[in-house]
Amino acid sequence: MIPRPRTLALLALFASAGLVPPAPASGAGTGHEVRIEGMKFVPARIEVHRGDTVTWVNQDLVPHTVTAQKAGLESGQIDHDKRWTYKASKAGEIPYVCRFHPGMRGILVVK
Amino acid sequence: MKSLRSNSPRGNILRAAGLACALFALSAHAQQAAAPSDAQIAGIVVAANQIDIDAGKAAKAKSKNKEVQAFAQQMITDHSAVNKQAGDLVKKLKVKPEDSDTSKGLKSAAKQTADKLKGLSGAEYDKAYADNEVAYHQQVLDALDKALIPNAKNAELKGLLEKVRPAFVAHLEHAKMVVASLAKK
Repeated sequence: MIPRPRTLALLALFASAGLVPPAPASGAGTGHEVRIEGMKFVPARIEVHRGDTVTWVNQDLVPHTVTAQKAGLESGQIDHDKRWTYKASKAGEIPYVCRFHPGMRGILVVK
Repeated sequence: MKSLRSNSPRGNILRAAGLACALFALSAHAQQAAAPSDAQIAGIVVAANQIDIDAGKAAKAKSKNKEVQAFAQQMITDHSAVNKQAGDLVKKLKVKPEDSDTSKGLKSAAKQTADKLKGLSGAEYDKAYADNEVAYHQQVLDALDKALIPNAKNAELKGLLEKVRPAFVAHLEHAKMVVASLAKK
């Protein structure tokens, strides 16, 4: 019988070293949500896995965009109470902005 | 009119001081006058948004500066969106926006500013428009904090005012960025 505490400790060690692989890119990914409220992306940084979807929901009264030109991320105008969903297919760190409001920034990390 | 057209520090100070006086008087009036009713608050909100939409339209037509044009378009888009929400809410609440001394004063000050801006062109116009946007958003924020939000009785109206506040803060910061950028040229 394998002592369970040791197994757990090993798993924790692998996980802390980043050796636990992310969820596979195939199949239905997990859905994540980023709220746009108070002229901010909440959370400002979100980490997802390839195949996951991220939905930005605009709870502000004014329209916004989710834009990262280099990464080809462009939501177009998201009006009040509207949403936009993006499927993360390529690993990497994508800093994005609202094209309309220069102070609004977020980061999407795809693992 | 020469002093208004001048791009000298004195001319700029005079312009800014004139606008600040007009808006300060409004803000002070809004605080000192009897607490505005919800209908009057709705009237002030609609007037404040419309003023900046009109200023944005004028700037978009007149300015050749891309940054100023983009900012002006943003003001048109955002303030139109806020006015649409405000319009939907007052319909739902069956409140008819009412004029008050504050809303009338806002409109009168805006007309004076628009008249001054009409006499300017090029870099002078861009600077005066951007300076005015900084002062305007600062004063509207003051009015929101000191007169409108505290006096709104209906929870949904108060909620709308609170929700719109961060957009006005972002506009103020954006306007300051435009002013700083123009100063470098």
